[in-house]
Amino acid sequence: MTGGVDTLADGPRPWRGLAWLCLRECHRVIRLWTQTTLAPVISSLLFIVVFGLSLGGRISTIDGFEYEVFIVPGLIAMAMAQAVYSNNSSSIFQARNDRYIDDVLASPMHSWQMNLGFGVGGVFRALVIGIALTALAAPLTGAPVERPLILLAAVALVLAGFGALGTIVGIYAHTFDHISFVNNIVILPLTFLGGVFYSVDSLGSPWQQISHANPLFYVVEAIRYGFLGTADVSPWLAFGVLVAIAAALIAWSQYLFASGRRLKP
Amino acid sequence: MPEPALSITGLTKRYDDGTLALEALDLDVPAGSFFGLLGPNGAGKTTMISAVCNLLRPTAGEVRVFGLPGTSLEARRLIGIAEQEPNLDRFLTVRETLVYHGGYYGMSRDAASARAEQMIDVFDLGAKRDVRAPKLSGGQRRRLLLARALLHEPRLVILDEPTAGVDLELRHELWRYIRRLHEQGTTILLTTHYLEEAEALCEEIALISAGAIVARDSADGLKRAYGAASLEDVYLKTVATGRLRARRQAEEAAA
Repeated sequence: MTGGVDTLADGPRPWRGLAWLCLRECHRVIRLWTQTTLAPVISSLLFIVVFGLSLGGRISTIDGFEYEVFIVPGLIAMAMAQAVYSNNSSSIFQARNDRYIDDVLASPMHSWQMNLGFGVGGVFRALVIGIALTALAAPLTGAPVERPLILLAAVALVLAGFGALGTIVGIYAHTFDHISFVNNIVILPLTFLGGVFYSVDSLGSPWQQISHANPLFYVVEAIRYGFLGTADVSPWLAFGVLVAIAAALIAWSQYLFASGRRLKP
Repeated sequence: MPEPALSITGLTKRYDDGTLALEALDLDVPAGSFFGLLGPNGAGKTTMISAVCNLLRPTAGEVRVFGLPGTSLEARRLIGIAEQEPNLDRFLTVRETLVYHGGYYGMSRDAASARAEQMIDVFDLGAKRDVRAPKLSGGQRRRLLLARALLHEPRLVILDEPTAGVDLELRHELWRYIRRLHEQGTTILLTTHYLEEAEALCEEIALISAGAIVARDSADGLKRAYGAASLEDVYLKTVATGRLRARRQAEEAAA
């Protein structure tokens, strides 16, 4: 029963464990592709078609861009943030709930590798959605990508921050309702109010100032700057806020994995 | 003298709700032995095993596996665990469950695939290799759990009530697998509350009650030490002692 494969001599090899955990998380996204990628792409595309192409003709340009072009970056940002959050929160919650997370927790991997591995599925899912939406929306609306490197940096920060938020909620959640609550009552409304469909500069006082206290506003603006080369706030400020959010949430999720709090009794 | 496969010193676990599940538990499991841990529900068997396998945050104490700190990656690589409740990944097939497990434990794709085929063959899961875990029967899940625990060829295999709720035929089948594994030099730590199972399989038995080891010897040694005709009598005497001790300590603490 033990002949043939000498594996103990190989040692723990935690990097290999990390690679397999990443593969497992992507495997889950692919296996559930209609839910994980197709549905979000279709719903975001409907927003672009209905709000942009149907109603856009009746709205004057915003910051020099046609309305259907203006809303594309915010909708892509929203779809990607929701995808990475939903994926990580539901994957961790299911693994905890069914206790198959024990197979990973008992394995010879460092806590940061477990944290990273569980997060990769969400990043993969969000990138598939983001690339598909960009590929479909760009020819449909003519939305440009003015600053590709800045766009990549903004996407990386959004995925890191919202991925970590998903991990944290997945660890704390007692039911699927908790996961949906954060998505439907926090992320979605704040994204809508963060200037996806309008320029915050066009708001009067105090709504303009209130919008600047919304962290999702900076997510939308950083992504919009990458696409259109313009934003309602300084890109430095937007990136500064994104870095701070991502760093705080990553530190929190790593604390949970390192301490085992909520993951282990 | 060789390092024990498992050395536990002063292991204490108090849960967040205040329940004291383990109290300064000491236990050595010799390398190469077939060791039984016997106790009633709630005695602390699963808590102890979870602490050994990095699945629990101990309040105090130390765990060493073949001389290595229990939390080290090297120690975790040496342990294979089949938990009491089937905890199989619902998105993976039988074959994928085994291959991914091998990957988590650092095996290459080729090595994990080859070993998975061996395990599928040994545990008679060939007809279900492409079936996902939720669609397996209870007995097939048990076999898959055991196959997964053995996949990375651990030196210490921990089986937490592997035959709980399984029919007689499968129980004897699992006993045969486990015996064969032990004959090949693997250390086995088996928890059970089936007395006949412990007596039939284990070279040495420790009885756990109220979070502490209350007796330890071979089945015959225990019977002699307690002047008992059967292991059941030993069990009743020691478990009752353990519960009495726990009650007395609780009363002292309250006073």
